Amino acid sequence: MIKKKTGVLLSLMLLCSMGAQAQLVTSMRINEVLVINEDNFVDDYGKRNGWFELYNPSAGTVNIGGCFLTNDKNNPKKYPIPKGDVLTKIRPGQHALFWADGIASRGTFHLNFTLDPTKENYIALYDSDGKTLVDEITIPAGQRADISYGRKIDGQEEWVCFEKVTPSANNLTLDTNEKLDNFKLNDSIGIGMTLTAMAVVFLGLILLYLCFKGVGNAAISASKRRADKASRETSGKTSGDVSGEILAAISMALYELDEDVHDIENTVLTIQKVKRNYSPWSSKIYGLREVPRK
Amino acid sequence: MQESFLSFLGENLQLFLTYTGVYNVTPGHLIMIVVGLLFIFLAIRYEFEPMLLIPIGFGILVGNIPFKDAGLQIGIYEEGSVLNILYQGVTQGWYPPLIFLGIGAMTDFSALISNPKLMLIGAAAQFGIFGAYIIALQMGFEPNQAGAIGIIGGADGPTAIFLSSKLAPNLMGAIAVSAYSYMALVPIIQPPFMRLLTTKKECVIRMKPPRVVSSTEKIIFPVIGLLLTCFLVPSGLPLLGMLFFGNLLKESGVTRRLAETARGPLIDTITILLGITVGASTQATQFLTLNSVKIFGLGALSFVIATCAGILFVKFFNLFLKEGNKINPLIGNAGVSAVPDSARISQIVGLEYDPTNYLLMHAMGPNVAGVIGSAVAAGILLGFLG
Repeated sequence: MIKKKTGVLLSLMLLCSMGAQAQLVTSMRINEVLVINEDNFVDDYGKRNGWFELYNPSAGTVNIGGCFLTNDKNNPKKYPIPKGDVLTKIRPGQHALFWADGIASRGTFHLNFTLDPTKENYIALYDSDGKTLVDEITIPAGQRADISYGRKIDGQEEWVCFEKVTPSANNLTLDTNEKLDNFKLNDSIGIGMTLTAMAVVFLGLILLYLCFKGVGNAAISASKRRADKASRETSGKTSGDVSGEILAAISMALYELDEDVHDIENTVLTIQKVKRNYSPWSSKIYGLREVPRK
Repeated sequence: MQESFLSFLGENLQLFLTYTGVYNVTPGHLIMIVVGLLFIFLAIRYEFEPMLLIPIGFGILVGNIPFKDAGLQIGIYEEGSVLNILYQGVTQGWYPPLIFLGIGAMTDFSALISNPKLMLIGAAAQFGIFGAYIIALQMGFEPNQAGAIGIIGGADGPTAIFLSSKLAPNLMGAIAVSAYSYMALVPIIQPPFMRLLTTKKECVIRMKPPRVVSSTEKIIFPVIGLLLTCFLVPSGLPLLGMLFFGNLLKESGVTRRLAETARGPLIDTITILLGITVGASTQATQFLTLNSVKIFGLGALSFVIATCAGILFVKFFNLFLKEGNKINPLIGNAGVSAVPDSARISQIVGLEYDPTNYLLMHAMGPNVAGVIGSAVAAGILLGFLG
């Protein structure tokens, strides 16, 4: 039985971990594409080719090794991303750049297909099963040289053209902290923040208060019900159920209490800490004999 | 031969001299060493938060031993040094959630569950955070810095460290030391304002004894507490998640060993590491600035505002409560989350007015609500300014 339970538990854990892994891979996004590279970024062979960038918007590292890239809807497994390359592990918020030069022998990030400047281009990323589509994009025909087509904000839906291309970097970079600037501009005294934040703190604790007021009322009524039930059960019993010995004992106790014949013990009830001075003479440890060693 | 040997020795001795603390000492180091000694003195002589002030005080001594910056990897700010590695728990913000795990495993929320309206006092006292935020903005701090400074008013060291490491890492040392110092000084800061803002009649209000809370209620509390607060403020998840998790370990009754580890060896270990590294991070060169002085001033103010807000809120709340259900305003100060010191202050001051009126149990309600409230407030600040 225990083995069965352990098995079920392990299977559940395995399922969860598989789910987590799959979720991470499926979070990958095609982020920026440059179809015509005339005077732009060069690869590690000093060549200019079209490229595109994958982006990991998740909070965990994603290994895209074993996934597939393609420019052909009918052939999802066109370019298998090699497994075992440390560079295919994409850290959170980081990018991976692939060169569409048609020469896969040049390395992991060189694809076996190219991008066609004369027509629209389709690019897709498939999961390692070659069936689950992770992300796809169709780049419109008529792309201009050295102007990339990418998501306005990394990982988000809207696509725009970039005159300032950003291979392996964020499509949108900020020179300032917009949040702080907004606060400085609109809430220089801090009243807005104070009111909002105090309202949220109060709301949170009021919700807890209401919730536990309800829980408390339910608990009180439940305990009352239990007490009523118990009292009904005891009141249902007649005095005839109690044996004569018990009644005699109760009567004796009541009599002794009335007559105050109970012995008075010489003790003091206190909340003060009782001090017992340490003495090796009264220590139990010193009084014990050591266990003989063999 | 002899002469060259002697000159070689002399040169080496001279070089050695440049490495000594005596050679590199500055007045700043000496001031910080005195501060460290003062912390140790206060902890031992007056037992002001000794668990915190001893590690921090000694850490200040460790951090202010002057040395030549020769890449020996000894300073806390030198990458790869032992102290720097231990300091990662502070800078990366993972010590505070572990402390919260321990706090959760040792906190009994019964007082709060039996009288849930006391939670609102914990919310009101968070005004100390935002009062200090407003003042810090007026003093010229950036909003993120002001938020990090304001959290001192939450009277919660781990929360202060967690938030300042995210919002203003360069001010973290001063904020942490300030928060812990004022937490230790709660017995000095709070009573005058408690006496000032209350009347004798209010101080002798007797509150109903808290009802017995069932174990089911105690088990439900961390689960609902987590869901309600974190759905509202997800950025408070690291602190609130661990707090409620620790409490569930305690109350579930089936994870006694885990709860004991969390509230015993784990929290002790983290407290030691946190205290010594926070103390050591106060190197005079980094710490002795005008900003630190301002932060100390703002810290004191935030404690005062939080205390007053808690007391005044109880007085206001009492206007709507029936006779017999009224709350003694002396437990208002306990809304700041310095557990259990501020609750103890309620008890001590309450006994001054009525030696038979025990407020400790009642004060523990707003006290633990303050822990939740300050973690929620930290989450809000992180969400808005992070």
